Order: sequence, then C-alpha cells, then structure tokens
Amino acid sequence: MNNRHNILLFITVSLFVALAGGSSAGADQTTVDEIVSKANRAAFYQGADGRAQVKMTITDNQARERIREFVILRLNVEEGGAQKYYVFFEKPDDVANMVYMVWKYTDKDDDRWLYLPALDLVRRVASGDKRASFVGSHFLYEDVSGRGIGEDVHELIEETDEYYKLKNTPKDPDSVEFAYYELWIDKKTYMPTRAEYHDEQGSLYRVVEALEIQEIQGLPTVIRSKASDLTGGGSTVTEFSNVEYNIGLTDDIFTERYLRRPPVRWIRR
Amino acid sequence: MDSEIDSMKQRICGAVFLCAFFLSLSARAWAFQLSDDFPEIHGFLEGAGGLKFKDGTTKHDDYNLLEARLQLRGRYYPRDFLNRWTPEINVKGDFLLDGYFGGATDVSLRELNALITPAHFMDIKLGRQVFTWGTGDYLFVNDVFPKDYVSFLIGRDDEYLKAPSDGVRISLYNKMANLEVIAIPFFEPNVIPTGERLSFFDSFQQGIAGRESERVLIEPPRQPSNTEYALRAYRTFGSYEAALYGFYGFYKMPRGYKNEALRQLYYPGLSVYGASVRGPVAGGIGSLEAGYYDSREDRKGDDRLIENPSFKALCGYERDLGNDLRVGVQYQYEQILNYTEYQAALLAGDFFWDEYRHLITARLTKLLLRQTLHLSLFSFYSPSDHEVYLRPSATYDIKDNVELSIGANLIWGDEDKTEFGQFEENTNVYMRVRISF
Repeated sequence: MNNRHNILLFITVSLFVALAGGSSAGADQTTVDEIVSKANRAAFYQGADGRAQVKMTITDNQARERIREFVILRLNVEEGGAQKYYVFFEKPDDVANMVYMVWKYTDKDDDRWLYLPALDLVRRVASGDKRASFVGSHFLYEDVSGRGIGEDVHELIEETDEYYKLKNTPKDPDSVEFAYYELWIDKKTYMPTRAEYHDEQGSLYRVVEALEIQEIQGLPTVIRSKASDLTGGGSTVTEFSNVEYNIGLTDDIFTERYLRRPPVRWIRR
Repeated sequence: MDSEIDSMKQRICGAVFLCAFFLSLSARAWAFQLSDDFPEIHGFLEGAGGLKFKDGTTKHDDYNLLEARLQLRGRYYPRDFLNRWTPEINVKGDFLLDGYFGGATDVSLRELNALITPAHFMDIKLGRQVFTWGTGDYLFVNDVFPKDYVSFLIGRDDEYLKAPSDGVRISLYNKMANLEVIAIPFFEPNVIPTGERLSFFDSFQQGIAGRESERVLIEPPRQPSNTEYALRAYRTFGSYEAALYGFYGFYKMPRGYKNEALRQLYYPGLSVYGASVRGPVAGGIGSLEAGYYDSREDRKGDDRLIENPSFKALCGYERDLGNDLRVGVQYQYEQILNYTEYQAALLAGDFFWDEYRHLITARLTKLLLRQTLHLSLFSFYSPSDHEVYLRPSATYDIKDNVELSIGANLIWGDEDKTEFGQFEENTNVYMRVRISF
C-alpha cells in the first residue's frame, strides 16, 4: 500500500498543498522514504476536501496564448489513498459546462468520466497515458493526479537548511519520457518547489516550478506554478484562486447526478 | 397563417444575424454578463458548406450543406424564486440561415427547461431538452430518443445528431439504485432524409429517390394517451456501471405502412426492454448492451406492413494507446425475430430485409499540436449488408474561440436499400468555421 502512494507534484490539484504541521523532524533521522511519503501527503491529501478556481495560460513556442479555466473540487476518500476529483470547465467557451470526473485509486487504474452537455452524454474515458498533456497544457496528467511513489527509485542527493533534493529514477524507463528527475522539497513544509526532468543524455528539458506560495486557512498553498518545455519551447502558467479547504464536500457530488447537474453551490463561490 | 409565421421567423433571423454581426465586430470580450444575477450568454456563430459529387434528383446537384448558424445559450440560477429547490433554467436556441433552401431562415429551440431539486433524493427537469443514455458510440440500442440523421449525414457538428424533445425527466437517487423516469407527451420522430436535400431508399419509388419522393409520414396524434415513457434504473458496482432500460412509445423511424396507395407511412408502437454494463477491461473501457424491440402492432411478425420485433446487442471497447491516440471498436448484432412469419407474409415484389445484420465500427482519434488539432476517423462497416460509411474529420483551433473543421461523409454500398448504402449519392466533403463566445 505504502509504495503505491502517489508522489506529489505540486501543481494543479496540488493547490491543496499544505503544511505538515509539527512535522519538523530532524533531517538526520528522516529517511528518503519518509521525505517522499510526507511530501506526498502534504501535497495531495491536506484537508478532507478542497476547491479552487484554476486558470491555465498556455504559451506556445511562437508566443501564442491559449487560456483554460476550470473549477476543481477534490475529496479524500481515505487519507493517503483514493481520491475523487470533479473538474468543471469554464473556458474556452466551446467547452464551457463540460465536466471531467476522476475517481483516483492507488492500487488500480483511475475511473474517469466526461460529461458533454450539448449531447447530454456521460462518456466513460479510458484511463491511459499518464505522461500525456493535461488539456493541451505543458502540465501532464501525472503532474495533476500524481505519480506512484513505487514507480521510481529515490535518492537524497543534496540537503541544505532550506530543502532536500531528491533524484528520482524510473524503475521502468520505457514507460516514461524522462531518464530521471530531480525534486526540490521545502524542509519546513515538505512542499516540492521545483522539479527538473532530464533525458537519457542527461540534459535538462523540462522544468515544473512553484512561482508563488501563500498560506490559506493556515496551509501553505501553491497559488502560481509553471511548467516549461525547454526543447520545444513554450510554457504553461497555472494560477489558483478562491482556494478553500474543508468546505464539506460529500461523496454524492462525485456521481453521474452531478455531472448532469453541476453543483452550483460549490462551483460558483 | 404559416406564411405569416415564416415571414416573422425571417425577420427575427435577419435581426439576430445583424446583431451578431455587429457584436462580432465590436465586442472584444465575447462573453458578456449584464449583472451578477443575469445569466452569462454563450454561443457561437458558424458558417458551413458541403460539396457533393454525385448527381441525383435532390434540389441541388453539387452541394448539400450551405448555412450560417448562430447559437445562443444561457444558464440562469434564480435566487429569489423557489430557492430551496436550487432552480436552474437552461435556454439554448439556434438561428439558421439556410443557403440550401435559398436563404430560408429557421429558429429552433434546442433547450428551454427548468431543473429543480424538490427533495435531496430527487431532480426534476421539465421542458425542452436532449435525452441521451446507453453505451454506444454513434450506435443506439436503448436510447430511442429522437436523432437528426440529416445533420449527421451532411456534416453538422455531433451536437445536432441528438434532436430535442419536450418532456419531463424525474431522477430519483438512492444507494440501492438510481431511477430515471422520462415522459414525452409530444412525439418527436427522427429527422430523416426526405429527398429534398438528401436522397434515400424509397420503397414506393422502387429505389433511390430524391425530390420525386412523395412519401407521407404520419405521426401519432397528439393526445395524452400517446405520451411516451422511458425508464432507466442504474447503479455502480465498484468501477462498473450497470443499467436496466424500458421504453414505451413509438418507433422513431416510419416503420409501418398506413396506406400503400397513398404512400403513407407511420410510426408504429414500440416497447424496448434492455440492459447494459460498462467498466474497465484490459486497460481500456469495455461495454455491453442489449435490447429487445417489441413491435407492439406486429408481435407475431406476420404483418408485412409493420416492422417485426427484433433483438439488438452491442459490445464496445475503447483504449488510450498513448501519445494522444485513442482507438474504439464496436460490434452490433441485429436480428429480426419471427422471421419465418415475416417471410411467409411477404408478397411478390416486396422489398425484404435479411434476418441478421452485423455492423462493425472503429473510431481512431489523434490529437496533435498541443491538442489543438483533432484528427478523427469513424468507420461503419457492415459485412452482412456490404456497406461502408467513413467519417474522417480534422478540427483545428485557430485560436481559443475560432475553430476550423473539415471532414467528409464517404459512403459505399452494394445495395440501394441498406441503412447506409442508400445514402451513397449523398457522399460529401464539408468545411465549417465556428467563432465561439
């Protein structure tokens, strides 16, 4: 179970990033696995639930901008385990009112649904390539829904007063596009603040970073993050607003009923 | 009277297009919001054209799509009215300027409904709305709600395959199973080719017919006893969804002869009973659906003028192959029941249908250029009816609110009377440009 936990990546849904209150164990006795596990919990499982308004600004290599806006609702089913996500699209206009719903598991493939309001159609979506782009941005599905801790070998390669730096090497190199990535984790909060992805030649080609962190309801929260493609060019900046934790989301929100009838109470705040 | 209404529709459409035009010139912010309480208005302005290559006897030989369309839609949450029931009001209307019919205009309401939650376990949606359920992709077993196959064949957006109905949908939720009951008091048939725009197989004409077709389609009288009912009970078992379906109403296709001499067809009574399951299978999504079509007016199958009862089964599988490439395949089995009685009842010279029909479909979807270019190929192939229908399309988002689509409806069939083969002459290539706001 433990090795199935998703490693945190700090964007999108990791808005629910949070402070590991009181977990200021000394670095000496903190093993690599503990760091990874704590960071995972801090990033993805803080609070019982959460909500945020998300704006993604996608800039391509010719400086053309595209905007994606959505509201995201998240509910922890079990601490450190299964979760449910509800994504309500607002922009661009042609996808307004579309809903994407995910039941995330740690021990099997996610269940995903897409609701197309024009057709009143509830589609089941095959959960597939986790290294594919999320809504056309430079963030990948795995940045959003997390990467299984057990999928990489983790080494602590640097430790300063501020952060831990981990090197993560995939156990199955054919399943991903990177050879390894380095992750900076804030020592106080266990929040990852930067990830650098390297290819087989060792050259850096992708960076994901937290640009701005704010405390919301006492929980440190990434409110601006950026993913950059260093070879192809282009980047995506994600901004989170109206972030709220522990708002009392219930299990029934994440069902077909609310795909057809968006829960306005949680979407318009 | 009709001409008065038509002329009024013309003027409304004219005014609306003019407004839309000026709006598109002046408005930098496309979506506008008058006040907090007022609903946001969204929609699009679209131009579409489709060329065809085979001469026939339709109104125009070289094209079957040429139109401008404005869609406006709004969703409104009244705050001071029935607040406890969290009401929601949806409106969606299309204004169409149809170049195929010499610039004829049309206003069509796709949605005008109110959605309320009178109890925590109940939703009610009343008014004009689109109903969809079932597991098929472009194939329908238990979804016997009206479809618009004209829009489908000429290359309009997928949205238009589903035609709206006037009715009420009552949804009841509980842990054991959720229940949906739909009542449709006003019968709405499928929109099918009539020969004006698209040619089709007309049994009265002994073959493919265009404008010479003189079929008369007679709808069930509008009376309370002709209300259609549809029911679905569904629940999830872990990651799997299961549903039972029931329908009591009429065929949406004119599957019965009322009066052969007068070329009258009608929509016979139909009940459907079915079930479906859907869930993860071997790294993808698998689905299975079946339905029994009870042709109430010809249960025995010995009336040559009315469709026999039948059985339909559908299985599907969809998978993400990575790199934004998806593939989906389906197989549909159809069987005419009581076929011996049907054969015995046929007269010399009657057209007849085979007992079995097999249909295979495949959908390939590939996204490119940061998911701004969507390539798709949907293909229908019937090994029993010897027909192929290919729907390739490419859609490119030039900007977030400007979309260009090109595509084609390519049809081949050995026989004139088969489901897709009859539309061979309508093969077209189309283009659409849409500005959303």
